[in-house]
Amino acid sequence: MIELNEIGRTYTRPSGESVQALTGFSLHIGRGELVAIVGASGSGKSTLMNILGLLDRPDSGSYRFHGDDVATLDVAGQARFRNRHVGFVFQAFHLLPKTSALENVELPLLYSDRSPVAGLGRKALEAVGLGDRMQHTPSELSGGQQQRVAIARALVNEPELLLADEPTGNLDPTSAGEILDIFAALNREGKTVVLVTHDVAIAARAHRVIRIERGRLVADDSRESAAATGRTHR
Amino acid sequence: MNTPQLITHSLRTLPRHRLRTAFIMLSSFVGAAALTFVLCVGEGARRKMLVTVRQIFGDSAIVVVAGGNQLMGGPRPDAARLTLDDIEDTVRGMPEIELWDPQQTMTVAAKHGNAAATVRLLGQSERSERVWSRSVSRGAYFDAMAVKRLDRVALIGETAARSLFGTGDPIGGEIQIEAVPFTVVGVLERFGTDIHGMDRDNEIVVPISTLMRRLANVDTIAAAKLLLRDARQGEQTAAEFRRRLRSRHALTSGQSDDFRLLTPVEVQRMMGKARSVLSLYLPLAAAVALVVGGIVAATLMLGAVSARIREIGLRRAVGAQPKDIAFQFLVETSVSVFGGGVAGIVGGLLAGQLVASRLQLTGAFSWNAVALALLMSAATALLSGVIPARRAARLLPAEALR
Repeated sequence: MIELNEIGRTYTRPSGESVQALTGFSLHIGRGELVAIVGASGSGKSTLMNILGLLDRPDSGSYRFHGDDVATLDVAGQARFRNRHVGFVFQAFHLLPKTSALENVELPLLYSDRSPVAGLGRKALEAVGLGDRMQHTPSELSGGQQQRVAIARALVNEPELLLADEPTGNLDPTSAGEILDIFAALNREGKTVVLVTHDVAIAARAHRVIRIERGRLVADDSRESAAATGRTHR
Repeated sequence: MNTPQLITHSLRTLPRHRLRTAFIMLSSFVGAAALTFVLCVGEGARRKMLVTVRQIFGDSAIVVVAGGNQLMGGPRPDAARLTLDDIEDTVRGMPEIELWDPQQTMTVAAKHGNAAATVRLLGQSERSERVWSRSVSRGAYFDAMAVKRLDRVALIGETAARSLFGTGDPIGGEIQIEAVPFTVVGVLERFGTDIHGMDRDNEIVVPISTLMRRLANVDTIAAAKLLLRDARQGEQTAAEFRRRLRSRHALTSGQSDDFRLLTPVEVQRMMGKARSVLSLYLPLAAAVALVVGGIVAATLMLGAVSARIREIGLRRAVGAQPKDIAFQFLVETSVSVFGGGVAGIVGGLLAGQLVASRLQLTGAFSWNAVALALLMSAATALLSGVIPARRAARLLPAEALR
């Protein structure tokens, strides 16, 4: 599904110093995989995440999604791609304050060119177990619940790919476990899930762990055994 | 993108930023209110001015004022004298002048029993009734004989009558003007305030001869109004009158006039200046207030773009295009600026009516004012939204989410 070939991305800091966030990075991810990307902070894993979700554009290399070159899409095309194919989950939730859970979840529908279908937001909230919290605002929800609202928002347009950047970084262990269970369940239902984390315990639940150091891929371990013995059955 | 939904969504974000929305609305409220207020009161003042000028000049008249080049404040001590004979002799042999009326004024204390009032006393001739088009509502105007005999008769304005007689009938009553007894023979027609805001019903009119000899002890007059037979002859008649009066005052060609002539054409010119202040410069100043309101709104919304940078990043991440972001910020800014503007127009209209009724102005409302204020508010609303919208749209999603 995803083919990254020789991706390079260099940032220029305000000081003028340039930083190579990704260098000659190649990666293939198949449909239905549950992939963890691990690495120290500053290793380039967030850059990888942004490039996978077309929030950022590589300086070199190619990105094919189902065989289509998506790195060269124009700004509007990138926005449509994100809207249709990608669901984002962030460490900081990024919910709109003073806005109901339902309205937060329906936000991607606002920017969708599909004909509106009633009840999509409700369905997505029910899928993450928050059917009874639809009119609550983020400040009335716990951290775990807020992240579940964010996951519902990522699901509402029924994308194939879920990208989660440290989704449990702001949560207590119990809530974090619940969130990971949701991702695992979604993966079982066929979603391709990419989790960026520096938590080894989380990575242990993935089928495949990709390790990045200084912008380079240093390890790519497929762990069918872990998947087989863990809770995630395919 | 679903435009109606995006508009609804943008509108719903406004109350979530209550304080900022309130400040934006307030800033455009003030500007629009000022503009509407100034335009409406200006319209009222313009009408008042027209009415007053019509009252003074009627269809065609010339006013001679003692003293040169001095419109306001009456004659100066060093000003040349203007006498009844001056006018009498100058007008003789000018058939184009139909009728004339002299005027002398002073401020006096008037009493009736224990009641006292300070009023403006006007000395006029019996012809004043026709020349100034102001008659009596009750009683009778004094006649030529009364002027000839220096009769102590008085016509009283409604305000003065109320101060001196209360609810009683002033006709036939006796009043003391500067301790000289007068008999009230008539009540002047109601006039209201004049262009200077003076209450023209707080007046007493007596024969000019009586005022000059018995009260003021002067032999000059302050002004005279000449009624013309033919309105089209105004400027020629004024020129001829001026030539004659100059020669009577023995002015040589190097000397300037020691009197002033107000002709309809000249008054139109003066009015034009006053009108440009009322209908151009004051509204311009008020429009600046509205523009400043727009700048305030733009600044606040620019701040909002920075404060909501993560929100913008998130919207981009879930599929918003730059134009969607720009559209949202444009709607948010425009609606709050325009909403404040519309409220300001209503506020300005109300304030205008209030002030106009205090100043006894009528017609202090114009659809043009409302239309102009609406247009200005709408233009400000759109323009103030453009810069924040562009700034918001230009953000890169990855950087905005950091």
